[in-house]
Amino acid sequence: MEIKYTIQGLLIYAAIATYLSAFITTFLRRERVGNFLYLLGFIAAVLAFIYRWYDVRHVPLQNLFEVFLCLGMISYAVSWFCRYTLRAGGYSGDVLIAAIMLVPAGFVFSAEPQRLPPALQSWLFVPHVAVYALSYIFMAKAAFQAIFQLAGRNHKNEEPRLKAGAKPVLSRVEGYLAPRSTWGLPAEEATYRMICIGFPLLTLGLILGSCWGKLAWGDYWGWDPKELWSLASWLVYLGYFHFRYMFGKKYARINSLWAIAGMVFILITLFWVNLSNLFSGLHSYAT
Amino acid sequence: MTEGRLTNKFRRGVLWVALSLILLLIFLSIYGAFLGAERAKNFFNSLPLAVYWTALTALLIVGVVMFHRLVRVPALLLIHVGCILILAGSICGSQAGHKLQKKLFGIDKIPTGQMLIYQGEQENRVVLDGAKQIGELPFYVRLTDFRVEYYKPDYLQIQSGQGKNWRIPVEIGREIPLGEDVGTIKVVRQFESFKIKVEDGKNVPFDDPNSAPNPALEVEIRSPDGKAATRYVFERFPGHTRPEDKLRLRYQRIISDYVSELQILRNNEVVAEKDIEVNRPLYFGGYHFYQHSYDADAGKYTVLMVVSDTGLNLVYAGYLMLCTGALWHFWLKHLYGAVTLRHVNGD
Repeated sequence: MEIKYTIQGLLIYAAIATYLSAFITTFLRRERVGNFLYLLGFIAAVLAFIYRWYDVRHVPLQNLFEVFLCLGMISYAVSWFCRYTLRAGGYSGDVLIAAIMLVPAGFVFSAEPQRLPPALQSWLFVPHVAVYALSYIFMAKAAFQAIFQLAGRNHKNEEPRLKAGAKPVLSRVEGYLAPRSTWGLPAEEATYRMICIGFPLLTLGLILGSCWGKLAWGDYWGWDPKELWSLASWLVYLGYFHFRYMFGKKYARINSLWAIAGMVFILITLFWVNLSNLFSGLHSYAT
Repeated sequence: MTEGRLTNKFRRGVLWVALSLILLLIFLSIYGAFLGAERAKNFFNSLPLAVYWTALTALLIVGVVMFHRLVRVPALLLIHVGCILILAGSICGSQAGHKLQKKLFGIDKIPTGQMLIYQGEQENRVVLDGAKQIGELPFYVRLTDFRVEYYKPDYLQIQSGQGKNWRIPVEIGREIPLGEDVGTIKVVRQFESFKIKVEDGKNVPFDDPNSAPNPALEVEIRSPDGKAATRYVFERFPGHTRPEDKLRLRYQRIISDYVSELQILRNNEVVAEKDIEVNRPLYFGGYHFYQHSYDADAGKYTVLMVVSDTGLNLVYAGYLMLCTGALWHFWLKHLYGAVTLRHVNGD
């Protein structure tokens, strides 16, 4: 465990604290305050990310500290997108996910600035990691919904209460600070929608990584442990789509199990492969 | 009616086989991850796996033929045909694919290998990967220069006996205080190729541009009581200290790039040239040349990785189709649906 007594660290801790406060206040049905705190936490996370960017002089996506900082920041935007575009909420879960994402950056990984090694000096570096980070958030939210589905609680997805006759865009902005009514989108359907958004990103991340591997290492597929785990993650979601195509919602619980398994594989790709000596390979610099 | 039922049954069977092959590949990937990259590469190129890849490709083709939905929905067709192209391109680019190409079309290309070239010399011999054989390229590659580039500034790492650590940028002549109990430290001189000669019975360090690189720093340490001591810190020999030293010093330079300046020669004429770096390979005559390794001791030679481009265009076309198909099917279709729905609703 590493406590960071720096401006960077303080910003991360402030973001975690406000995210957790947002979660508690939402849980206590003080949703207006919860929304406001969630926004504050996001601002603190953005400031921490910008500070890091200025400090290391390159887009901070090089190591796990920077990736988790990014995940903690973008989860707010993903949450916003899911609520207002996909109509699939799980709002309180989103706030908790955002807080959890920042914990490794705040307490586990070192914030020692590092120069980019030659292999990372590529235009593909940022899109490859950023696309993966985005897909991971969508898949985490999908897994969260799937757990709700498995637990037998058809998680109610929330939508902001709109004033009658208000224009949609204006209403959406107002919706941030407005208390929310609940409306039912089944957790299985919400899981599917999120995976539909996350899967093309996962595919793009895999392909961008492959193109980058060809440029840097001479091969578009090196059979590196991290590559194989990321392929396995992609295949789990591919299996999910085929299974859902075959049976629809007949075996909704098995659909949810696929979604959870996909997230487990993503976590292994992200953590275990980077941290464990068991899987040393070309991606080991990302620890 | 019976025929239709039979077709449906067959389609169901194809889907089950597809799901089984996906599950099998998941387990194989996990198994491969435990093997490590080198052994996994051999494993996934072995004969049983060649059968698997062929079966997967055949199944995808059968799927495209059997499922009319795949033809009716262009995005799904792109995804599946993209996968077929990726697998076909990979098979063509493999060692077996190269052998087949030689047998069928008489095209003899080196699949992948390495070449070592000394500065100022030219070479066309390639040590083939996976076989202790030498192949020859139909042209020569000359290395005009090789260099390693470093980030600026360099750093001096200092550790005191009490466990205190400092990391200071190297700046000649600047005296840096390290606290009342340690004193000060100053970098006096920087060497690229540190050498020692004896003059009047004394050891005199000097920079020798003609010898192998040996980066070093001359450092002056002044203790709190005013006594000065000179120490030499070598990048390549960290931990070089004397028993009486209170500070452990380390000279650190961070590599920013490896650069090989290459020329391609045909009939002793230069037909192409490029400075290759990591992420910037040279492409010529159906081969990519990558910066792979170098002479870390003297910097006199470079090692290039040579990779044939057979099947590469198929793989890239497959990537493009897979990506376009996935984005179209999962995103654009729904976006278009939402827009038309809004239009119908009169929003």
